[in-house]
Amino acid sequence: MKAIQIRQVGGPEAMALAELPVPQPKANEAVVKLAASGVNFIDVYQREGRYKVALPFVPGQEGAGTVTAVGGDVKSVKAGDRVAWTSVLGSYAEYAAVAADRLVPIPAGVTEQQAAAVMLQGMTAHYLSHDTYPLARGETALVHAAAGGVGLLLVQMAHHIGARVIATVSTEEKAKLAREAGADEIVLYTLADFEAETRRLTAGKGVDVVYDSVGKTTFEKGLNILRPRGMMVLYGGSSGPVPPLDLIALSVKGSLFVTRPTLGHYTATREELVTRSGAVFGLMAAGKLKLRIEHVYPLAEAQRAHRDLEGRKTTGKLLLIP
Amino acid sequence: MKAIRVQHTGGPEVMELAEVPVPQPKPAEALIKISVAGVNSIDGHFRDGSFRTPLPFIPGQEGAGVVTAVGRQAKLVKLGDRVAWSGTLGSYAEYVAAPEDHLVPVPKAITDEQATAAMMQGLTAHYLANDAHKLKAGETALVHAAAGGVGLLLVQLAHAIGARVIGTASSEEKGKLAREAGADEVIIYTKADFEPEVKRLTGGKGVDVVYDGVGKATFERNLNVMKPRGMLVLYGMSSGPVPPVDPAKLSEKGSLYMARTTLAHFTATRQELLARTSDLFRLIEDGRLKLRIAKKYPLAEAAEAHRDMEAHRMPGKLLLVP
Repeated sequence: MKAIQIRQVGGPEAMALAELPVPQPKANEAVVKLAASGVNFIDVYQREGRYKVALPFVPGQEGAGTVTAVGGDVKSVKAGDRVAWTSVLGSYAEYAAVAADRLVPIPAGVTEQQAAAVMLQGMTAHYLSHDTYPLARGETALVHAAAGGVGLLLVQMAHHIGARVIATVSTEEKAKLAREAGADEIVLYTLADFEAETRRLTAGKGVDVVYDSVGKTTFEKGLNILRPRGMMVLYGGSSGPVPPLDLIALSVKGSLFVTRPTLGHYTATREELVTRSGAVFGLMAAGKLKLRIEHVYPLAEAQRAHRDLEGRKTTGKLLLIP
Repeated sequence: MKAIRVQHTGGPEVMELAEVPVPQPKPAEALIKISVAGVNSIDGHFRDGSFRTPLPFIPGQEGAGVVTAVGRQAKLVKLGDRVAWSGTLGSYAEYVAAPEDHLVPVPKAITDEQATAAMMQGLTAHYLANDAHKLKAGETALVHAAAGGVGLLLVQLAHAIGARVIGTASSEEKGKLAREAGADEVIIYTKADFEPEVKRLTGGKGVDVVYDGVGKATFERNLNVMKPRGMLVLYGMSSGPVPPVDPAKLSEKGSLYMARTTLAHFTATRQELLARTSDLFRLIEDGRLKLRIAKKYPLAEAAEAHRDMEAHRMPGKLLLVP
């Protein structure tokens, strides 16, 4: 089969198209013929060696396709099933062997491309808005990087719940996307200080929750515009890591709550994984969650996909098609 | 009137009995004849200068008594009303002038001693169990200093909710008190490290919530005994301040939550103050919340009360009687 292989870490050119044997399923695995593979920042970090993976390896953490073979112990899926997954390495390929308990069924009404595109970011937006801080109608949420991959999905979910959404973005073009997704207020942080703007937009009261994937450059100001007893959800650090936090600040700024969640802890059991992915697919099938698939590349053009992602030129999802 | 006066900050000996004029209520204040004043660790922080207030001052933040005069704008209370309060400096005295919106009515069935004991520590235990983390039946809570002023009340409230309570205490004698209050398990932390003990008692799963008023000595190990997505509520730092915390740690240890809370943010509106106190008074009336009055001192012996408090040798509430 064709697959992208990394023999040594480095730039996009470290990824080469290779001819590899089709994987055989272990007892607890299923082999899936991939229809689409999602491109994510974690793929870049692993390619660069910032996150360590044993060499050589096939990159890619997200995909969807059809089961072609199953191991002896597998009962949850069978050949012919349409399935999707995330957080399992090896999806930049024609076939992948995946632990069966990480595979979720794709319902009718959702394509494989949509499923591959929504697994990581869609489930992230879902746990953030439904579990990490279960948003309620009438509450106000500040969403940073609202035109980003998770951001656009999170804005839509928050909007459907009935929350008021204040969104930060860097350009007018991204502002338009965030507004279409349901943001009530937009702060162009390149032109205005989001702290002062958010204070003004909430009449000094502050927001119930801040969803922050930016980190270093936004965290401190985020604490300043939370209402008393509000929740800071730090779920990424695209501008760099947040420095150690003085807990007294949480008390002085209003008995604030802070959490640093990751998807793994919100899809830890099979039951939760299936429920969460089902909820996300359900929203998509009902037309309540719109996904921007910005570009579809042939597998052989993985390098170009990474260059586009790293250049931050993209605002929607990138897929590889084997 | 007689009052305790602090002319310069320092040890318990800086508190001296003095003859001072009875205060006059400002327009939105009431004058109260104090029947009992509560002794709290915050009084020690003001006395020794770690919390600042202009000198000289009359210490004491809480008490109960009868309204003897009201300012001309006062509407919430009238002459003869039995009231209790917390957060009003000047309570180690025969009279205090307090903002009327700090005053809560004391029902007939509740004594002044009970009302005083229910204020700062009772309100703290109440918001911890009901709001900082909404404890549910079947959850497991770790309560540090379970025989302390807040601890003994928090254990009772948690037990009444139906949670499993693991308490830590420094001696067998205090352990016994925690058990009588409803703790299911007690760890004598001077004899056994609470971290492996909590792991053992929860079958390796960890607790849903940690209530920590200790701080420095316990903080780091708390993170190792919590379930994924568990909540750490830091509400005091009796062992010293916690060093700054790397938020990445919260994610590594299981997408944990952390809060640093203070009572004022949980009694910020008059409505919330009244709802919380009336709930507490009802629990006391029903016998579901037992207050432990450790010792009553004449006002003149305030210094001895502080010595006993700071040596942690009197589990329960210390009161001054003018």
